[in-house]
Amino acid sequence: MKQFIAIIFFLTGSLLNLQAQTIPEPPDPPKLVNDYSNILNANEENNLESYLVAFARETSTQIVVVIIDELETSISDFAFKLGEKWGVGQGEKNNGAVIILKPKKGNERGQVFVATGYGLEHLIPDAIANRDIVDGEMIPHFKKDDYYGGLAAGIQVIMDLASEEYTASEYQERAKKSSGGGSAFFLLFLLFFVIIPLLSGRRRRAYSPGRSLPFWIAMGMMGSNRSSHSGSFGNFSLGGGSFGSGGFGGFGGGSFGGGGAGGSW
Amino acid sequence: MKKFLYGVLALIAVLFFSSCGYNKMVSLDESVTSQWSQVENVYQRRADLIPNLVNTVKGYAEHEKETLEGVIEARSKATSVNINPENLTPQTLQQFQGAQDGLSSALSRLMVVVERYPDLKANQNFRDLQAQLEGTENRIAVERRKFNETTKQYNTYIRKFPMLLYSGMFGFEKKNYFEAAAGTEKAPEVQF
Repeated sequence: MKQFIAIIFFLTGSLLNLQAQTIPEPPDPPKLVNDYSNILNANEENNLESYLVAFARETSTQIVVVIIDELETSISDFAFKLGEKWGVGQGEKNNGAVIILKPKKGNERGQVFVATGYGLEHLIPDAIANRDIVDGEMIPHFKKDDYYGGLAAGIQVIMDLASEEYTASEYQERAKKSSGGGSAFFLLFLLFFVIIPLLSGRRRRAYSPGRSLPFWIAMGMMGSNRSSHSGSFGNFSLGGGSFGSGGFGGFGGGSFGGGGAGGSW
Repeated sequence: MKKFLYGVLALIAVLFFSSCGYNKMVSLDESVTSQWSQVENVYQRRADLIPNLVNTVKGYAEHEKETLEGVIEARSKATSVNINPENLTPQTLQQFQGAQDGLSSALSRLMVVVERYPDLKANQNFRDLQAQLEGTENRIAVERRKFNETTKQYNTYIRKFPMLLYSGMFGFEKKNYFEAAAGTEKAPEVQF
């Protein structure tokens, strides 16, 4: 009996251990700019967000910005864990980047870290991230309290580097594929819920005068609406290109292995 | 009749193996192995950076021969220890970790020494190398953490009921974790 209790304690203990980290939950609905310390005004935040979403749609590379006041671990550790937990980037390419910014407050130094997913490590080597992005673009702006300008300038460099490999044509192929999946789904839907009921309805017309038909057509049209909508929103809404992952949100399950660089001012 | 009996036994075995988690034990075991090779990769990456780093530092800080030699020696020790993933026993893991920790502390001594050479610190080549080294240390931390997480998943799984009853029979044994390095709580020695 004692052993049994010990095992129970052990198992629950190991579960608790896994949940001890305090990485914020992924935003719902998914957002690429997450300003937890409110240093960007609404306009700036919208600009950055739409810029990043457009980039994610075009290249499938996802860049996430997180601005936060308190850090319990080192900023790099926080960046990798957050990227991994949120799944920034596409699962099979790991082409995500995470920018963590801790604004300067009083005597505390400001910190910034750019973490690159496995798939971006060779496009944005650590030395480049350190020299060109952090030291060259971000920190000079941050020193003047121009957080928006620094982020925008740094993001521009990341985009220039990252778009070398993940081109627009690749995205279009992907979009075609996913909309193809959508229409196949729609055809199946049509077959099962419109054509079959229609045929069997014809046989049964004697007792039920075809009332179910308009309902199923309406359902079928709802289905087609849904798939065309997700096609247009593309990779951002359906990360990884898999049809079922829409519920999970915008992130594609990318993984981080410790690439990137940071700095403080 | 006998053939039929064997057929039934085989069928039961298939059902038994797929439902009892045998397959899952195999795939968890495999993921520990592949995570181990990731760990070795990032350590190798660090070892590959060192000759370049040592050469750059040498150009500016010739007097630090001892420290530089310490790094080179620790590097050759670290690269000489490689573990076959099938062979991840507590002893081999400890040996590997000991060699790598030796290199870590030699490197951190070097980085302390470097503080005395402002010219070197201003050198762009050196700063790039420093960023790469930091990035590599980050990668090591991440891959080690992932290795421990994968190992934990595996260990938890094979020790759960009912796998506990037969995991040993098939040779699935508890695997070891990376421990925090014994020397990391101590700051590196600085000699003036």
